[in-house]
Amino acid sequence: MTKTVSRRDFLKLGAASVGALAIGQMLPPKVARAAWDNGALNADGDGHISTMCEMCVWRCGLIAKVVKGRVVKLDGNPDHPHSRGNLCPRGQSGLMNTYDPDRVLTPLIRAGKRGEGIFRPATWEEALDLVANKILEIKGKYGAEAMVFSSTHNLSQPLFENLLYAFGSPNYGTQRSLCFNAMIVANTMTYGMEEPARIYDDKLKYILLTGRNLLEAISTSETHDLIMAIDRGAKVVYLDPRYTKTASKATEWLPVKPGNDLAFHLALLNVIVGENLYNRSFVEKNTIGFDELKKEVHRYTPEWAAPLTGIPAETISRIAHEFAQAAPHALAHNGWRTSNFINSFHTQRAITILNALVGNWNVVLQDAGGEESGTLGAPSQPAYPRISALRLDGVPWKYPVVPFKIGVFQELRDNIVSGDPYQAHGWFISRQNPVMSLPDRGKTLKAFEKLDFIVTMDIILNDTAWFSDVILPEASYLERYDPLVPIGDKVFIRQPVIEPQGDAKSALWVYKQLGERLGIGDFFQYADEEDYLRQQLAPTGISLEEIKAKGYAELREAPHAGESAELNWNTPSGKIELFSETLAKVGFPGVPTWEEPPQPAEDQFYLLTGKVAQSTQFGTQNNQLLHKYSDEPRLWMNSKTAENLGLANEDWVEVTSSVGQIHTRLLVTQAIRPDCVYMTPGYGHLSKGLKTAFGIGAADSAVHVTYTDPISGGQALSQTFVTVKKV
Amino acid sequence: MKLNLTIQPRFRLNFSPLVWVLLILMGIAFVTAMIRYIFGIGAISDLSYSYPWGFWISFDLFTGVVISSGGFLMAGSVYILGIKEFQPLLRPSVLTAFLGYIMVAIALLVDLGHPERIWYMMIHWNGTSVLLEIGICVMSYLTVLAIEFAPVAFEGFKLQKWAHLIHKYIMPFVILGVVLSTLHQSSLGSLLLIQPAKLHPLWWTPVLPIMFFTSAISVGLAMIILESSLSSRYFQRGLETHLLEKLAKAIPVVLAIYLVLKFGELAFAGDLHYLFTSGGFSILFWAEILIGAVAPIIWFSVRGNRKSANGLLAGAIILLLGMILNRFNVSWFAVRHPDPMFYMPAFMSNVHYMPTLPEISVSLGIFAAGILAFGLAAKYLPVFEEEHDPKAPSFGD
Amino acid sequence: MTEIKHHAYLFDATRCIDCRACMVACSVENNIEMDKTRIWVAGVGIKGEYPELQRGTMVYHCMHCDHPDCMSACPVGAYTKAEDGPVTYNPDLCIGCRYCMNACPFGVPHFDYDKGIIEGAFIDKCTFCPQRIYNGQEPACVQTCPTDALEYGDREELIARAHARIADHPGRYIDHVYGEKENGGTSYLIISHIPFGELGLPNLPATPVNEVSEKVMEITIPFALGWGAILTGVAAGVNLYNKKKEKTAVEEKAEKSK
Ligand SMILES: Nc1nc2c(c(=O)[nH]1)N[C@H]1C(S)=C(S)[C@@H](COP(=O)(O)OP(=O)(O)OC[C@H]3O[C@@H](n4cnc5c(=O)[nH]c(N)nc54)[C@H](O)[C@@H]3O)O[C@H]1N2
Ligand SMILES: Nc1nc2c(c(=O)[nH]1)N[C@H]1C(S)=C(S)[C@@H](COP(=O)(O)OP(=O)(O)OC[C@H]3O[C@@H](n4cnc5c(=O)[nH]c(N)nc54)[C@H](O)[C@@H]3O)O[C@H]1N2
Ligand code: SF4
Ligand code: SF4
Ligand code: SF4
Ligand code: SF4
Ligand code: SF4
Ligand SMILES: [Mo]
Repeated sequence: MTKTVSRRDFLKLGAASVGALAIGQMLPPKVARAAWDNGALNADGDGHISTMCEMCVWRCGLIAKVVKGRVVKLDGNPDHPHSRGNLCPRGQSGLMNTYDPDRVLTPLIRAGKRGEGIFRPATWEEALDLVANKILEIKGKYGAEAMVFSSTHNLSQPLFENLLYAFGSPNYGTQRSLCFNAMIVANTMTYGMEEPARIYDDKLKYILLTGRNLLEAISTSETHDLIMAIDRGAKVVYLDPRYTKTASKATEWLPVKPGNDLAFHLALLNVIVGENLYNRSFVEKNTIGFDELKKEVHRYTPEWAAPLTGIPAETISRIAHEFAQAAPHALAHNGWRTSNFINSFHTQRAITILNALVGNWNVVLQDAGGEESGTLGAPSQPAYPRISALRLDGVPWKYPVVPFKIGVFQELRDNIVSGDPYQAHGWFISRQNPVMSLPDRGKTLKAFEKLDFIVTMDIILNDTAWFSDVILPEASYLERYDPLVPIGDKVFIRQPVIEPQGDAKSALWVYKQLGERLGIGDFFQYADEEDYLRQQLAPTGISLEEIKAKGYAELREAPHAGESAELNWNTPSGKIELFSETLAKVGFPGVPTWEEPPQPAEDQFYLLTGKVAQSTQFGTQNNQLLHKYSDEPRLWMNSKTAENLGLANEDWVEVTSSVGQIHTRLLVTQAIRPDCVYMTPGYGHLSKGLKTAFGIGAADSAVHVTYTDPISGGQALSQTFVTVKKV
Repeated sequence: MKLNLTIQPRFRLNFSPLVWVLLILMGIAFVTAMIRYIFGIGAISDLSYSYPWGFWISFDLFTGVVISSGGFLMAGSVYILGIKEFQPLLRPSVLTAFLGYIMVAIALLVDLGHPERIWYMMIHWNGTSVLLEIGICVMSYLTVLAIEFAPVAFEGFKLQKWAHLIHKYIMPFVILGVVLSTLHQSSLGSLLLIQPAKLHPLWWTPVLPIMFFTSAISVGLAMIILESSLSSRYFQRGLETHLLEKLAKAIPVVLAIYLVLKFGELAFAGDLHYLFTSGGFSILFWAEILIGAVAPIIWFSVRGNRKSANGLLAGAIILLLGMILNRFNVSWFAVRHPDPMFYMPAFMSNVHYMPTLPEISVSLGIFAAGILAFGLAAKYLPVFEEEHDPKAPSFGD
Repeated sequence: MTEIKHHAYLFDATRCIDCRACMVACSVENNIEMDKTRIWVAGVGIKGEYPELQRGTMVYHCMHCDHPDCMSACPVGAYTKAEDGPVTYNPDLCIGCRYCMNACPFGVPHFDYDKGIIEGAFIDKCTFCPQRIYNGQEPACVQTCPTDALEYGDREELIARAHARIADHPGRYIDHVYGEKENGGTSYLIISHIPFGELGLPNLPATPVNEVSEKVMEITIPFALGWGAILTGVAAGVNLYNKKKEKTAVEEKAEKSK
C-alpha cells in the first residue's frame, strides 16, 4: 500500500490525541500505582506488566513494556501456552489499536442523521441513562424480545449474556454462524464436544487441512505447531482453491473446486471403509452407526469425486491410504471458519468421522476449548427469568440442532428486516461489526432502518458504530481488566498496563452500570473489576496479587484428559456417533451425505474470502502499524482467466453479485483457481471515522449473498457468484 | 550577445539577455535549493532508496571534476615540465578549474544531507573511505587553486606586490596541486571500486582509478581547447591555434593508452563476452568508447582538423561528450541498485530514477553561476594575457 | 542461553510465512516512523504456473557483515563494527553523503529524503537491537517470529545448526549457508529452499567487496608522497636544465659579443 499515513511516530500520535494523559502523568496513575505496588512498575512508571492479547480470539499472553505510563512494546509471554513468547503481527501491533488517533474516548450521542457521522460527546451518566431509558422504553412498548443483543466472543461475554438474559430477551447474535457453526455443530453431533483438541506432538506424521489457512489466519501457537510439524517431516495435504501461504508450505496443495471438499472427504471415507483401512477395534469399541455410514459412502468412489473436486481419483485414493497408514498419528483438521457452503456441515461431519474411523487418539479424545471450564468461581446471581418469546434467528424452531448460544446471526438480521415472526426495535452491539461481518451489507443497513435505537460499544468508530445512535467507548484491552480465563492447567489475567485514555471504561464497569439502570443489578454483584476477579479466584485459593505479578497462576487441580481417561462421549449414545439419531430425528441425513453445491454460471466466479496475517476481521485495518505492512487489497484473479477477459493487473474492475456491486483493483496472479476470484475481507469501510482505513479497498460483504446451511445455520460465504468486468 | 555588467546610474539594471538568462537560472536554482533545505532532498529530486546518487553526482561531481582537469595539466606543463609556451593557456585553465571546483563544492552542499557538517571530513577521518580522500583532496586543491589564481586577482586589483610574492613561492603549490589532482581524479574511479556487485563488469575493474586518471588527461586537454575556442569567439580575441594543435596532437596518444588499458583489462578479467551480450549496457559502453575515444583519435589524427579552429572545437566536443557519458555510465547508468522483489514499504518502491526538473535546475543554476563568474573574471581580471606581451606578468617570473 | 561470543541470526526461508510480525516488532521496538522500515520482505513471491507453484520470500535487514562495506565507505566513520557482531550507525557524525548506501551490496541503509536540514536527515538501518541483546533479550524481530524462521544466537552455533538442518532434511534445502562466507562473512545467516538470488541476495565472493578499495586506500599516501617527490625532482631537473640552457645562451651571447 503506498499511501503514507503519517510521518509522525506513533508514540507522538498517541500523545497528541490524548491530552489528558500528559496531565495525568503528574501523579502516578491508579493503575501504575497498583502495578508499582506489585513491583511491576518503578516510581517513574517504567516496567513490565503481564497481560493478554485481544487482537484476536486466540488471546496470547503478553508482557507489556511500559515507560512513564505509556506502553511502548509488547512481547509474547514465554510462559503462555498460546504465545510461547511469540506474537503474530496483529499482536505485535496491538498498542497501536490503543493509541489509534481515531479512538473513541468519550461516549458519543448521534447529533445528525444516521450514517452522517455527526455525534456529540456526552458524559457516561447521560449516555448510560439514555441507553437504559431507550431499552426500557422498547421493552415497555414491545416486550423485552424487541431488543436484540449481539457480541463476538470475548472475555466479558458472560456479563453481556447476563445483560440480555436477565433483561429477558432471547435474541442473541454471535459471530459464530459466520465463522465456525458447521464445525462446532458437526463435532457436537459426533463427539459431544464443540472442538476437539489438535495436538501436534512429535509423532504426528500426516496433516490434512481443509481450507484452514493456518499460516495466514494465524493462531500463534498452532501456527508454530504446524511449521514445526512440517520441519519434523510431517506430510501436509492442503485443500484450498487458492495458493495461500499455507499451500506454499504444504507437501501437497490440492486446488479443490469450492464447495466440493465434501466430495473429496466422502471419497476418502469410501476408500477407508471400502478397503478396510479403518481401525476396526477402535471403531467397534467407540462408535455407533458404522453400517449406516458404510452403506452411504459406498457410492462415493474416488472416480465419482474426481470430476467434482478436480482432484484425480488416484490422488484421492492415495491420500486415503497414506492417511490411514499414518493413523493414529494423523490429523484431519476441521478448519475454523467453515462457513463456506450450504453443504459445509456434511463436510465437517465427514472430516470429524475420518479422524474417528482411523482412531486418531490425539484428535478425538480431548476437548480443545477449556476456556470456559468451570474451575473458577463467579459472583452469585439469581436465576434468569424464563423467556417465552421465539428467537428471531430461528433457533430452534427453524434450526433444530443449532445450539442456543451459537445462533444464526444472519437470520436474526433477516428477520429484523422482515419483521417476522415479530418486529425488533432496538439493538445493542458490543465488540462486533455486523455491518461488515454479515453478508449483504445493504440488507444489514436496511435492518438498521427498521430499528428505533442502536447502541454500540467499541473502541473506534467502526462501521456499525457509524450508524448507531449511541457509542459507548470501551477501554482497550491494554487499559482494562477482563474476567480471568483458565486455559489448560493455568489461569490467565488481562489487566490494565496503562490508565484508560479519555473516558473509556471497561465492559465490566459498563455492563454493571447498565444492569443497575435496567433494574437487573443483582446480576452484577461485584464492587469493581478487581472484586470480580477476586470472586473468580475465591475457590482456587490463588491470590489476585500473585496472578497480577506473573500474568498467570497454576490451577491447583489441573483439568486433565488424555489416553488414560475412560472413554465416554457426551453424546446421546455415549459413543462417537457416525450415524446421528439426533439428526435423523429432525429430518436431516444421519450420516454425511452428498449434497450438490450450487455452481456459478458460465460468466460467473466463486467469490472467495479469507484472512490475511496483517489484520483481524474488520477491526484492525485502521491500525497504522498493520496498515504499514499490509498489501493493497485487490481482487485476485487467475492470470489465464484475466487474459481471456482482457483484464490486466491493476485494472479497476466492477464486481457484481445478485445483491450488490463494488469497484476494486485487480491482482492478476497464478495463485488461484481459474474459476474463482478472491477478496481480502475488512476493507471498503463505510465509516469516515476510520481515517487510516477509509477509502481503501472494497467490501466483500457488500456483494456477499446470504445463504444458510439448514443444519448448522452457518453462513455460506463462498457461495456467492459474481461477474467481473472492467470499469 | 555581449556581457555587459555596467551598472547604470539611478540603479537601472541593464544586463544583456545572456546575463539575464544566467541570473534567472541562478534564481531558480536558489529557490529550489531552499525548498530542498526546508523540506528535504526528496521534495525536489527523484533520489530514493534505490538511487542514493543521481544526476547531481554524475553531473556536478563526476563531470564537474573531470572537466576541471585542464588546470592541473597546464600548471604541471608550464611549471613542472617548463613548457613555457603554454603560458597563455594557463590562466584560463586555472580559472576554469577554480570555478569548476567551487561549483562542485556548491553542488555538494545541496546534495549532502548535512551540508553544515561538511567540515566533519576534516576532523573525523575514516582512513578506508575513498570519499574521505576525495573530500580532503578537493578541499585542499580548491585552496591550492585559490593560491594559483590569486596573482591574477591581485593584478586585477593592482596589487602587483602581492602577486609577485605568490609567484615567488608558487612551485610547492603547483606540485601539491598536481599530486592532489592526480589523487582525486583517479579516486573518483576508486569511489566505485566498492561496488563490484553493483557496477556492471564492463566498467568495474580494479584499475578504475587508472582509467579515470587517463581519461581525465584527455578531457583536460579537450577542455582547454574548448574553453579557448569559445572564449576567443566570445571575447573576440585571437585563438592560440598553434598551441592548441599541440594539445590536440597529444590527445590520440592519451586515448590510445586509455583504449589499450580498457580492453586489456576486460580481456584480462575475462569480461570480453559482455561487450555484445549486455543489451543496453553494451550499447552504452560502445557509445562512450566510440564517441569518447575512437572518434577523437581518428579526428585528431587528421592534420587538417588540428589546424582549423572549427576542427579543434568539434573534436574537443566529441571527446567531451563521450567521456561525460563515461562518467554518467560509471556513476549512474551502469550501476544496478537493489530492486524490491516482492514486498517493500512505499519509500522503497521507487526503483526507477529519472532526474526531476528541479534537480536539473539546481545543476543548471550552479553552471550558470560558473559561466557568469568566468565572464566577470575574464572581463575584469587579466585572465587572457596577450601572448607576445613580454611585460605581462606571468607566474613563472 | 549459552554465552554469545558473536551475535548472529539464522533465517530459514522454509519456515517464514511472510507474516511480517518481525517488521511490526522492529517498528514498535525502535519507534520507526510510519513510512520507514528497517526490515522488509524480499524474494520472488509466487513463481511458476498454476497449479505448479512455489513461493520464495525472505526477511531482509542489515547483514551485520564482518567486514562492513558501509563502514569502509563512510568518510567520517559513522559506522562501528562491534567485536561481537553488531554494525551500528552514529547519526551525530553523519554528513548525509549516502556513500554507504552505494557501498552496501545488500542495499540496507536508507536515508531520510523527506527531512530538511532543520529536522535533520539521517541514515537508518537495523541496529541488531543492542538495547535488547545486551539485556538478555532476543532482537525484537526474532523474539516475535511465530514460526521461528528467525533465530538468534552465537554465530558458530547457528552455522552448525544451519548445516545440521540441511543435513537432516536431504532435498529440502539448497546445500549452502548464505552469509557464512559471503562478503567475508555476515552475522545474518540464511538457509533456503529456493536459490538465494531469487530471495534478492547478491551473489558475492568470500572476499569483502571493499577489499580492492581498501587496498587502493592503503597505497594512497605512499603513492602521493612518491608522486610528489618525482614531480619535485622533475621540476628541479627541468629548472636546472633551463637555467643551464639560459646560462649557455648568455655565455654564447657573451662569447659572440667578445
Ligand atoms: N490474521 C488473522 N488470523 C485470524 C483471524 C483474522 O482475522 N486474521 N481470524 C481468526 C478467526 S475468528 C478465524 S474463524 C480463523 C479462520 O481461519 P480459517 O479457517 O483459515 O479461515 P479463512 O482465512 O477465513 O479462510 C480459509 C481459506 O478458505 C478458503 N476457501 C474458501 N472457500 C473454500 C472452499 O469451498 N473449500 C476450501 N477447501 N477452501 C475454501 C479460502 O480461500 C481461504 O484461504 O482465523 C483466526 N485467525
Ligand atoms: N466477508 C467475510 N465475512 C466474514 C469473515 C470473512 O472472512 N469474510 N469472517 C467471519 C468470521 S470467521 C468471524 S469470527 C466474524 C467476525 O465478525 P465480527 O466479530 O463482527 O468482526 P470483528 O471485526 O472481529 O469485530 C470486532 C469489533 O470489536 C472492536 N473491538 C476491538 N477491540 C475491542 C475492545 O477491546 N472492546 C470493544 N468493545 N470492541 C473492540 C473492533 O473495533 C471491531 O469493530 O466475521 C465473519 N464474517
Ligand atoms: S494470534 Fe495474534 S492477534 Fe491473536 S491473540 Fe495471539 S498475538 Fe494476538
Ligand atoms: S549489510 Fe550493508 S549496512 Fe549492513 S553491515 Fe553489511 S554493508 Fe553495512
Ligand atoms: S551518509 Fe552518513 S553514514 Fe553514510 S557514508 Fe555518508 S556520512 Fe557515512
Ligand atoms: S535486530 Fe532489531 S533493529 Fe534489526 S531488524 Fe530486528 S528488530 Fe529491527
Ligand atoms: S515473523 Fe517470522 S515468519 Fe513472520 S515474516 Fe518475519 S521471519 Fe517470516
Ligand atoms: Mo471466526
